[in-house]
Amino acid sequence: MVFEPSLSTDNTSDAPASPLVSCCSQVQIKHKGDRLLLVLPQEGETNLELPWSEVWQELKHLLKRREQSWQPETSVCLVAGDRLVDTRQLQTIAKTLREVELKLTTVSTGRKQTAVAAATAGYSVEQNNRANLSPFISHGQPNSTESLAEPLYLQQTVRSGVEIRHAGTIIVCGDLNPGGVIIAAGDIFVWGRLRGVAHAGARGNRKSRIMALQMEFTQLRIASTVARSPQNLPHSLEPEVAFISNQGISLARANDFTKTRLFSPSEDSWVRTNN
Amino acid sequence: MSRIIVVTSGKGGVGKTTITSNLGAAIATLNRKVALVDADFGLRNLDLLLGLEERVVYTAMDVIAGECRLAQALVKDKRLNGLVLLPAAQNRSKESVEPEQMKTIITALAKGYDYIIVDSPAGIELGFRNAIAAAQEAIIVTTPEIAAVRDADRVIGLLEAEGVNKINLIVNRVKPQMIEEKKMMSVEDVIELLGVSLIGVIPDNELVIVATNKGEPLVVGHKDSLPAIAFHNIAQRLEGEKVPFLDFTSGDSNILNRLRRMFGG
Repeated sequence: MVFEPSLSTDNTSDAPASPLVSCCSQVQIKHKGDRLLLVLPQEGETNLELPWSEVWQELKHLLKRREQSWQPETSVCLVAGDRLVDTRQLQTIAKTLREVELKLTTVSTGRKQTAVAAATAGYSVEQNNRANLSPFISHGQPNSTESLAEPLYLQQTVRSGVEIRHAGTIIVCGDLNPGGVIIAAGDIFVWGRLRGVAHAGARGNRKSRIMALQMEFTQLRIASTVARSPQNLPHSLEPEVAFISNQGISLARANDFTKTRLFSPSEDSWVRTNN
Repeated sequence: MSRIIVVTSGKGGVGKTTITSNLGAAIATLNRKVALVDADFGLRNLDLLLGLEERVVYTAMDVIAGECRLAQALVKDKRLNGLVLLPAAQNRSKESVEPEQMKTIITALAKGYDYIIVDSPAGIELGFRNAIAAAQEAIIVTTPEIAAVRDADRVIGLLEAEGVNKINLIVNRVKPQMIEEKKMMSVEDVIELLGVSLIGVIPDNELVIVATNKGEPLVVGHKDSLPAIAFHNIAQRLEGEKVPFLDFTSGDSNILNRLRRMFGG
């Protein structure tokens, strides 16, 4: 007999209007060979032009969160694309990178003024037009078959007011506090308490799961399904998995999950195995 | 080596200024030199709570503008040796100061004092960024209320992103009676969520309001009151001493409850 305390959470009918959320963080960091790519948000990718101060704030926070995922003195290529970056902004970026022991060496841009500013400041310049930039930039095209980005590993608690978007799986070594939001194209692992909002499979992958040592969520979303926390959610002290079953989003004990559940492509949800 | 500590909370009205004034006075009684900096430009209160309003001649704004020397702007406390206040300008807004300017002033101030305690305004805008510009460590003030704790969490995240990693927590306005009846978040719940180290718990007490209106820090006027003792304990903990946390519970509780609270309250 299989004991599975699967409880169906209170599903709300108000599914999000646009289920396929863009899961790209506005500023992105990627490994490429032995250097890092720092990709600034491109004009036209977001509806509203992000002011420089916000881009910089986000960059700063992103660097702090990921501080240990690179070797000191790694060289960085700033992928500015068609975004205009002036001399002062370049200086600020270089200074911010130095604080986390990174070295700005190259600027890749499609704009002449940015290229001039970068060359004047002594960085090597890669002039790129939009077309050959594309391998660097993951487009916001919602496509569930698209391969995922490398997992994002966060070593801190995600606190209130922080929203993390990533085009792959997200692993949090810490809590997800109320007021914090994690949106991933892949799965979400929280090695701690999940109390905020987590959205897995944000590009529409219904196979995505959310796992946490302790599920005390405000809201869970998988693909286009939403579940909010029922008033009397019994707090399980065991790690749990949230997944899409034929009744919407369900929770199950993490220990048993892989043994008792199987993703059925025909039903487009996780079903019980027969044993 | 002086310590630059910012007192901040995110949410308004949780007791930042009251705690700054009392903590400053408590540290000064330990024979330390303390400078309190009011970073709440446009809504200054710290001078009122210390009863120093009528002695304010110059403000931090005048120092920034170069109209007076830093030493001229400092207001000495009338009761405690070694306690001074750098008042904020009342006629200017928070946007009239830049983080770099605050940093310059506070760094200059740090040369002559053991502790610089900066009273931050509520919010997370420019005024907050001015207040934390020079800070090496922070004291987060919260009350056991869900909104205050949520904002405190946000502010801790911002401080960490700015590289201020030494963060202590004060839980203010705690009502042991209400916690016992499970009507209020317990101090343990707050710590568990915020994940920073606790440096003090201040019980809710009417004397705090009395002292505030009199312009006399509690630790001066009501030395033996429970909140005053709590402030003294915090000052000693800042100095590196191990002081056990107070047990606020009334005598009617049984030994098990008392034991349980000894670890948190």
